[in-house]
Amino acid sequence: MSERQVVGESVRRVDGIKLVTGAPAFTDDIHIPGMLYGKILASPHAHARIVRIDVSKARALPGVHAVLTHRDVPRVPHTTAGQAWPEPSPYDTYLLDNKVRFVGDRVAAVAAESRAIAERALRLIEVEYDVLPAVLEIEEAMAPGAPVIHDEPDSTKIYDRNRNIAGHLLREIGNVDEGFREAGLIVEREFRTHRQQHAMLEPHVTICWLDTDNRLVIRSSTQVPYHCRRQVAMILQMPVGRVHVIKPRIGGGFGGKQEMLLEDICGALALAARRPVKIEYTREEEFYMARSRHPQILRLKMGVKRDGTVIASHMRVLATTGAYGSHSTTVQGNTGSKVLPLYRADHLRFECDVVYTNTPVAGAFRGYGCPQGFFAQETLVDEIAEQLGIDPVQFHHANMIRLGDIDRLSAQLGEGKEGLPRVIRSCGLPECVDKAAAAADWSKKRKAKPAKGRLRRGIGMACTMQGSGIAGLDWASAFLKMNEDGSFYLQVGASDVGAGADTVLSQIAAETLGVTLDKIVITSGDTDTTPFDVGAYASSTTIISGGAVKKAAEKVRVQVLEVASKLLGQPPENLDCGGNQVFTKCECRQTIGMADIALHALYKEKFQIMDGASHFNTDSPPPFCATFAEVEVDVETGQVKVLHLATAVDPGTAINPKLAEGQVEGAVTQGMGFALTEELMLDNAGRPLNANFLDYKIFSAKDMPKLTTILVQTDEPLGPYGAKSISEVPINGPAPAIANAIYDAVGLRIRKLPIRPEDLLRALREKEMEVAQ
Amino acid sequence: MKSLELHLTVNGEEKCWAIAPGDLLLDVLRREGYYGVKRGCETGECGACTVLLNGKAVNSCMMFAGHAEGAQVMTIEGLGNGTKLHPLQEAFLDHGAVQCGFCTPGMILGAKALLDRHPDAGENLVRETMAGHLCRCTGYRKAVEAVLAVSTPPRKVRKQTAGGKR
Amino acid sequence: MFDQVEQYHRAASVAEALRLLQTGKGRARVVAGCTDFALQSDDSVRILIDITRAGLSYLRSKDGWLSIGATTTMADLEESSAVRNLAGGILARAAASCGSVQIRNVATIGGNMAHGSPAADLAPPLVALDAVMVVVSPAGRQRIGVGDYLAKTKAPNALLAEIRIPDGPSGKRCGWSFQKLGRTAVDISLVSAAAGLEVDARGKVKWARIALGAVAPMAMRADETEKLITGRILDRGLLDEAGLAVRREIGPISDQRASADYRREMSGVLVRRALQECASQSGWPL
Repeated sequence: MSERQVVGESVRRVDGIKLVTGAPAFTDDIHIPGMLYGKILASPHAHARIVRIDVSKARALPGVHAVLTHRDVPRVPHTTAGQAWPEPSPYDTYLLDNKVRFVGDRVAAVAAESRAIAERALRLIEVEYDVLPAVLEIEEAMAPGAPVIHDEPDSTKIYDRNRNIAGHLLREIGNVDEGFREAGLIVEREFRTHRQQHAMLEPHVTICWLDTDNRLVIRSSTQVPYHCRRQVAMILQMPVGRVHVIKPRIGGGFGGKQEMLLEDICGALALAARRPVKIEYTREEEFYMARSRHPQILRLKMGVKRDGTVIASHMRVLATTGAYGSHSTTVQGNTGSKVLPLYRADHLRFECDVVYTNTPVAGAFRGYGCPQGFFAQETLVDEIAEQLGIDPVQFHHANMIRLGDIDRLSAQLGEGKEGLPRVIRSCGLPECVDKAAAAADWSKKRKAKPAKGRLRRGIGMACTMQGSGIAGLDWASAFLKMNEDGSFYLQVGASDVGAGADTVLSQIAAETLGVTLDKIVITSGDTDTTPFDVGAYASSTTIISGGAVKKAAEKVRVQVLEVASKLLGQPPENLDCGGNQVFTKCECRQTIGMADIALHALYKEKFQIMDGASHFNTDSPPPFCATFAEVEVDVETGQVKVLHLATAVDPGTAINPKLAEGQVEGAVTQGMGFALTEELMLDNAGRPLNANFLDYKIFSAKDMPKLTTILVQTDEPLGPYGAKSISEVPINGPAPAIANAIYDAVGLRIRKLPIRPEDLLRALREKEMEVAQ
Repeated sequence: MKSLELHLTVNGEEKCWAIAPGDLLLDVLRREGYYGVKRGCETGECGACTVLLNGKAVNSCMMFAGHAEGAQVMTIEGLGNGTKLHPLQEAFLDHGAVQCGFCTPGMILGAKALLDRHPDAGENLVRETMAGHLCRCTGYRKAVEAVLAVSTPPRKVRKQTAGGKR
Repeated sequence: MFDQVEQYHRAASVAEALRLLQTGKGRARVVAGCTDFALQSDDSVRILIDITRAGLSYLRSKDGWLSIGATTTMADLEESSAVRNLAGGILARAAASCGSVQIRNVATIGGNMAHGSPAADLAPPLVALDAVMVVVSPAGRQRIGVGDYLAKTKAPNALLAEIRIPDGPSGKRCGWSFQKLGRTAVDISLVSAAAGLEVDARGKVKWARIALGAVAPMAMRADETEKLITGRILDRGLLDEAGLAVRREIGPISDQRASADYRREMSGVLVRRALQECASQSGWPL
């Protein structure tokens, strides 16, 4: 491989200067004359019918320009999930409905001249509710006699509405019953995970207005501008071509903005008021009226031979999607498809029911079902390894998926339909394990520790994987055109959520075209001026959008070389690009600058050097990750402090190593929050108890352990310059690694998240009493 | 109703604004075009709204604008000038400490206030300052690195975080 | 949202503040740092009286008392050498534990005490130190012991002007400690404890003060536990007894942050740790 100039370099972000100077780059950083403030009236009840709703007083309040109830808007069943059409999630949501299904559900919406007037208008709306019994617990939702949450006849794609089952999956390769018969040791455990919220620093915000051609413009903090456009058009019953979605800089998404969340209601208000309207969630609304991670109950049974070889694995998941089915089957499908195949067992079985409950709606969240699944699997194998007297590192080496393997479970669990089998064409996992183990000082720290003193230390590990784009489904396109100074405009539908997509895609374009990074000017995420992209999710941007960028750049490079060929009098095959020039490969070394080529094409030959390309993959090469956690447990308070988190990731090629490291460090921080401190709590009426940063605790700079991040680069044939992905996989490791470290420290198995000090303390006391007896 | 006149200096420029008595400083600053001051939580937890008031970092989301009468306020827009970035801004870019950028203005201002008073700030003090700036993207490591690189003498992130609870 | 507020005054003196409070007829509020106030949504407030420029930011040592003006900030307390040298610096440590740098730059000792949260960070040290609160009203200046101040309903036309701390006992056989338990490094107290004691040459406890926060409607002294350990030799067994005893004196609640049981148990743990630190400082390490 010849030396690369731009790809592989830790260049500064191309959008960095505007971010460090606070330039008005985010959705709300704009003044639109006449803009109104929109606000949503949220349901105070977990489950109720709206018997009567009177908005006359609200409408009459001076400064109010629009008030909408279910009577004022079309009733179009849809899903809010930002997924490719036809979305696999149930079409069970309505712009405004005459039934509310969770505390925070939409009742009505207003647009007024100020935030204060809008809030006052909400208080003037009179609603008479017929309060219905609510079901909040997962296990109760399917029980006979449970209230039916989606009894409306017009919703579709619900698996069994009368039992509140939004989705159901059953997939098997091999035969697990046979597999378990061969097993020398079988361990079965139940695990529980909870509601984690994205808590991105910029809450959801959308501004809608009608442009001078009366098209609906939607300026929104969204990961999925194209899905948004399609869905809003459908819901508001407008042609797609009459909707224009603009994605400015986004202040974090993590999957929470892989959703059409406010755009429909904001658009409806803008149409009703004939004025621009902004809806911006408060932090409180963001916690329970946006999206969160699917809580799960997982039963995992694994069978191994006495020598530790994994033979069979049976996972049953009971999850809740909250009141609406956004991402319901797909997240849980991932819990099986990305998790079970980590081990080379012939027999894998995955079963899942996803139920509705009258609770905040779950959706996409970094990891997308994998954090839950790996928590279960990696703590279970730790237990198995211990019972067999095998070092977990050795256990993993012996059983982990390898280069050349074929994962057949993925073939059965695509996004809502048959997927494609996954061939492992690049795999740095063994090296990840060894390097992370060394960085964490695994061997030394695993030796027996004296069990005294109030601070006990332990070390644990976990291996995880993810995907890079959804095979056969995620796709992207890119367009490039050349300017007379030798620069190129790169137009991509891809949605930079802050992870650095704009930079990475520019690097790929620059590398392919043989120009320096400053010669690429990128525009992204505007449905009028950039071509289609499914959006930023499923770790697809580098590999899929990057693939499209590389293809488009290769096509444009051909055009550039053709023009250069004429100017240099050399056939194109004798030419190459580099350093903003085209040069001859032979020793005669003729050169011509990109700017000269552009000027010639534009003004002499009279054509625009430009081209576009679309790209998708028929496979989803997994990035791999090994996580080692060292913890200190205070046995008097039950508090767990993470001392060191070492993460080694195989992302394929790291297009920008520093950005890649940043992704790891951010992901593991969310992973630690998932394990230890974050939980959206509800009372027994379904009302949120901690919808604020005071009581929903995310890690601050003072909570951070020492972080070691190791990139183990491999070369993935399906990715541009060998890249796979990195932004999700590291979030999967901390919870199981920490749980395993706690076992090493105090001998307690953690099977429930988050790991609350009280619960740990109680378990320690119980263990002490057992030991005493 | 805007019945109060607020006089203050913002980024070195004298301002006279009509405000309502109950206006919060965050709302006034954004209304007047200082979009670098962000609205993240409105409860003083996240620090995205941080500005410097007479050199001290404060959460503008929980400060009445009237409190800033006669004060010197600095927002991110006042740091560096049009052509030259402040060393902290350069450091944040060089160390990859910026991802989505929403917490960045607040963090940089907080770090500036710290280094103005303690040019030799070590990791503990830097983390103490950064604790008032929640970030969901970076895990803080590169931001701490960036600030330590600007402190005198420049330092690296230490092996073990010694911060922790009081 | 404070769109109902009609007036914002920066009082230039305490007298002016009191006058505005009086004419406000119950719809006026005194504010300083606003870090608690801004989180409330009290629609009835029409007049805000900002007292941060009313001459109440000071720290004065005189005649055996440390007088702290009510609008002295947490940051001021944290950095003041007078406060750091007082009683092992427990008030400075409590101030330093309160929120973030931005909060501490504006939050005031007066606001923290007047707001009256059961978890107010400064209350346990002030209770342990027998602080005296100076409240001014049209009727004049009144001195109230901190315990009484916290227990009584606040008069609407009065404002807290000063907090006075007696110099109190000191010496090399005195030890002081402040402990706080939170869920993460920056947190409201789940439990907090401020303690001080003095031992004689043989380790016998001459006096002890133990105050707890967030485990009762207001910060409180653990009188029974203090009596229990006074006059006895300070050893690990005594610490264990104290830890158990304090659990019986408190009245914690369960909320979304912690259960009453956990708070109860942690009170014992924190008091034990506080007394252990006091012991170390008093030259009697255990």
